[in-house]
Amino acid sequence: MAAARLWSSTPVRLSLALVALFAVMSFASLTATYFIIRQPLEQNLRDTLNQEMAGFGAVPSAAALAALVRSQSEVTEPHKRIISYRLPGGLVVGNAAILADHEGYRAVSLAPGGGDIHGEFYTLTRVLHGGLMTIAVSAEPVAQLRRIFTRVFLFSLFPTMLVALGGALLLARRSQRRIDRLERALDRLARGEFGARVGPIGGVRDDLSRIAERVDAMADELESKVAALRQVSADIAHDLKTPVQRLSVQLERLAATPGLPEPAAALAERARAEAQAMIRTFHALLQIAQIEGGQPRARFARVDLASLAATFCEVYDPSAEESGHRLIAVPAAGEVPVRGDKDLLGQILANLIENALRHTPAGTEIRVATGRDATGPWLEVSDTGPGIPESERDAVFRRLYRLESSRTTPGSGLGLSLVRAIADLHEARIELSDNRPGLRVMIHFPPVPTDH
Amino acid sequence: MRILVIEDDATTGSYVAEGLREEGHVVDLVENGRDGLIQATAGDYDVLVVDRMLPGLDGLALIKTLRGAGVMTPALFLTSLGGVDDRIEGLNAGGDDYLVKPFAFGELSARVAALGRRPQTTREETVLRAGDLEMDLIRRRVTRAGQEIDLLPREFALLEHLLRHKGRVQTRTMLLEAVWDISFDPQTNVVETHVSRLRAKVDKPFDRDLIKTVRGAGYMIEA
Repeated sequence: MAAARLWSSTPVRLSLALVALFAVMSFASLTATYFIIRQPLEQNLRDTLNQEMAGFGAVPSAAALAALVRSQSEVTEPHKRIISYRLPGGLVVGNAAILADHEGYRAVSLAPGGGDIHGEFYTLTRVLHGGLMTIAVSAEPVAQLRRIFTRVFLFSLFPTMLVALGGALLLARRSQRRIDRLERALDRLARGEFGARVGPIGGVRDDLSRIAERVDAMADELESKVAALRQVSADIAHDLKTPVQRLSVQLERLAATPGLPEPAAALAERARAEAQAMIRTFHALLQIAQIEGGQPRARFARVDLASLAATFCEVYDPSAEESGHRLIAVPAAGEVPVRGDKDLLGQILANLIENALRHTPAGTEIRVATGRDATGPWLEVSDTGPGIPESERDAVFRRLYRLESSRTTPGSGLGLSLVRAIADLHEARIELSDNRPGLRVMIHFPPVPTDH
Repeated sequence: MRILVIEDDATTGSYVAEGLREEGHVVDLVENGRDGLIQATAGDYDVLVVDRMLPGLDGLALIKTLRGAGVMTPALFLTSLGGVDDRIEGLNAGGDDYLVKPFAFGELSARVAALGRRPQTTREETVLRAGDLEMDLIRRRVTRAGQEIDLLPREFALLEHLLRHKGRVQTRTMLLEAVWDISFDPQTNVVETHVSRLRAKVDKPFDRDLIKTVRGAGYMIEA
């Protein structure tokens, strides 16, 4: 994982590209040098071949040439110099057979095992007195040159590349640490910890340190904006709660006034119910704001999801029966502990069950299950109702959002926002899916460290 | 009961005070923390109703100071934020109960009544009675007019709670806390359905209803 991250980091990628470029350039220049040096060497060999051929060409007849070739070949070592002559009749004389059918230069490589001579040779063939005269000289100097260049390549370029690569990795690891600091700060900011800062990331002042400074400046700005926003919300809440309280009390007293005519009493009762609905919405908004502030985390304790779910199913069972729903508590195999706030986790269960009761027709089956899997404890509330279209599954968590189809059913549109806020507080993940048919709400909690 | 209301908002304060007076309590109302502290120390009150945020001396500090001075009068906090933290802080500071603003007056009056009579419930009873109803806690048997009534465990617990707090209104949230040990804000009539099931067994077959609905507040078995 860490290695994969290192390989994908910008410094490593850049240095790999540079090393590759350097290797290609070095290879090209070494190759060019090789050919430049080989050129006069080859010319030398050709000159030698031409001079010798000129010597043989001065011989007056084919028979004399054959005799000369025979005598010369006896004193010549075949791995340095090969001379052969194919007489017009087809008879070949000489110390080895390099056979050619036509005139001109050739480079010949004789494999070992094919005879007692091997190696590379330059050959020249000419037609002399109706026969083919071939002279070959060893190309050993050229082969040696090639070996030298190969060695130079191996002993200079490879170590250079290795050192460059090592240096790149080292640099990458250093900047990786700085990037890690940046990433950690950004992650925390994204989670809503607006106090998170990158701070000094060390190293020389470069683009990374400048980005770090910008991120911190941005975080400062964000923090003060969020604080201002929270303050405004708190102020509004503060200014509203007293009048709302008064309204509620006044309506309550109005409704209870003795001798009030029946229509007026009914009206007062309806107004009181409206005020109560307003109070609930108001209350839920404040609760969400406070949960998002993250403070309740301080009083987290071990909570058994399984028994909490069982309790809520029991509490809602008569309501479900009354509205014609079937509420089924699927028993868990043993305890399902999570770390959290019992009241808030209960609010999740209440909201999910109430949602299911409210938005599904009579006869719908609602299942509440808890359990543990490899990733941790989970809670699931599923129904066989109409479900939520996939395109709207994200939107339902938005504050005050309501599905078009549920405009007429009661509810504040805050139930799922509250569920989401509570889940976020517990670092739990919510998953909405199709229950085929119906809605399946799955909440995955982080694993609980064993308390022994 | 003698009740001291410490509330800075004049309107809310006077409604609370008047409402409690109408129920027959003797109520004093003060509007800031400093006066509240003096009154609470000097007067002989049964219950204090204290707003969490007060000018002069904050509600939390007030209760802490009182408890420090040995004044143990039960205190009900009125908190505005509906925050779980507020509640914990309030209870830690020495408050005995809390109520989130905005609240229904019935809820306030029920909780004040519960606080005022708290010490009475120390004596362990084995048989609870109301009218012709008898609940034997040891044999876990309920009879009414000599007829045995078969109750589920939670119905038994619900009836037991109402009987133990005979003559006092028990609100929906109080019942959820006492019977199921959960505290949340139900948006539907969950508690009503439990009570109506209980009524079907305890009241319906008989000519007089024991379990009364208190409008806007909760339920009560009359003493």
